[in-house]
Amino acid sequence: MMRRSPFRTAGRACLVALALCAPATGAARAAGPDPMQDAAGETRKEATRETTWAAIRLDLFPGRDIGEAGAIVQLDAPDRAEDAALVPISIQLALPAGDPRTLKAVTLIVDENPAPMAGRFTLGDGRRDFSLSLRVRVNSYSFVRAVAETSDGALLMTKAYVKAAGGCSAPATKDTADSIARLGEMRFRSFAETGRPEAQVQIRHPNFSGLQMDETTRGYTPAWFVREVEVKQGGKLIFAMEGGISISEDPTFRFSYTPSPDQVTVRAEDTEGKVFTSTFPGGGS
Amino acid sequence: MTQARARVARRRAESLRAVLSIALFLSLLLALGLLAARAPAGAADAPPEPPDYRLDGYRTPTPATLAGAKVLETAAAAEVWRAGGAAFIDVLPRPPRPAGLPEGTLWRDAPHASIPGAIWLPNVGFGALNPDTEAYFRAGLQAASRGDVNTPLVIFCQRQCWMSWNAAKRALEYGYRDVAWFPEGTDGWAEADLPLVPVTPRP
Repeated sequence: MMRRSPFRTAGRACLVALALCAPATGAARAAGPDPMQDAAGETRKEATRETTWAAIRLDLFPGRDIGEAGAIVQLDAPDRAEDAALVPISIQLALPAGDPRTLKAVTLIVDENPAPMAGRFTLGDGRRDFSLSLRVRVNSYSFVRAVAETSDGALLMTKAYVKAAGGCSAPATKDTADSIARLGEMRFRSFAETGRPEAQVQIRHPNFSGLQMDETTRGYTPAWFVREVEVKQGGKLIFAMEGGISISEDPTFRFSYTPSPDQVTVRAEDTEGKVFTSTFPGGGS
Repeated sequence: MTQARARVARRRAESLRAVLSIALFLSLLLALGLLAARAPAGAADAPPEPPDYRLDGYRTPTPATLAGAKVLETAAAAEVWRAGGAAFIDVLPRPPRPAGLPEGTLWRDAPHASIPGAIWLPNVGFGALNPDTEAYFRAGLQAASRGDVNTPLVIFCQRQCWMSWNAAKRALEYGYRDVAWFPEGTDGWAEADLPLVPVTPRP
């Protein structure tokens, strides 16, 4: 499912495509400096593609049982990503009618990324449904997983296999310089007037993964990314994120909320300890 | 010849034509299949050898040659490996864990399997190296060759990977006299059912 961020202009998309799309390869971004992936290698890996999860789940959820999510967690991800550095992911959480529980959090995992935990999203109290769309980097063909946690402590997982490679090491673009120049600037848009109880926030940040090669130093650009985001409305938490290297440049989150006159405040902190805060109209009347 | 006989003959001729054209079609398919099976992957679109190092698009078809180096098919590489005496150098890139990750970040290096006895020197096949990586490559080659520039080197990564081409070219530039480039790398090796073993990068 492709939901283009309205903040990304067509011009930007063209620039990214021109600058980064590899020649002679069908899959997007298959020719970055690091993506050691090809069809043959991946066919061999298919058989063992659950192996990584078996290795990392104990670190991510020590001692916890993880059940199948069924209809409670839906995950939309492209089978084959157009751009491995900007893979659109959409998560919908909904508890069925009569279920007495609420939702506490959802964790997004990209198995094959060297830092597999893309983001952990904690929800405000009392949520029984939540939707979230964002863009992530996918370094090699990988399962993407959403693991929801309910108020009784149960973990519910759903997964999707995404064919994309090189997302974490994709080189910086001209836009990256712009992101640094406008570091921490935010844009907020409520979709309330279109009838959707949803909003989107974008934080300008290069979100360097630490796996990108710097053309001038010939070394890896140090990791530098937004590690925490907190979105509140009228002082109440909508969601908070603890993020890693997998969130794409200029982190952008579209999420469900209740539009109201109460202001929305967004606070973000990056790995250098820089804090960015902005306040926006709540989008409701 | 009666009309009935003529009709039968015509029908026979038609069915013969049909059989022949199917046979022709099948043999064409077979020929194409054989061609595809015989040609190394990407050989059809092998680009000419560039004069300098490749700086981007590392996972694209590689040239058929490298000036100054031997080029080994999988079978030939396996022969060299069995004979012993050559240093096998795997140059598959792998980024190190970045500094400055938040405490407690789960980091997992993807496991890698290589040719038994090979030395893994990641990141030495980029088109341009910083001084640290350059020194790392020189030291790695020196150790692998026991300081003898006449030691045969077999340099590889995976199929259609310019990293091995770059690294082999660089080894020549460093003065190694017996450099072989093995373009099929661990992909060709695995497909030939030759053994691969877990490997960690040389520190």
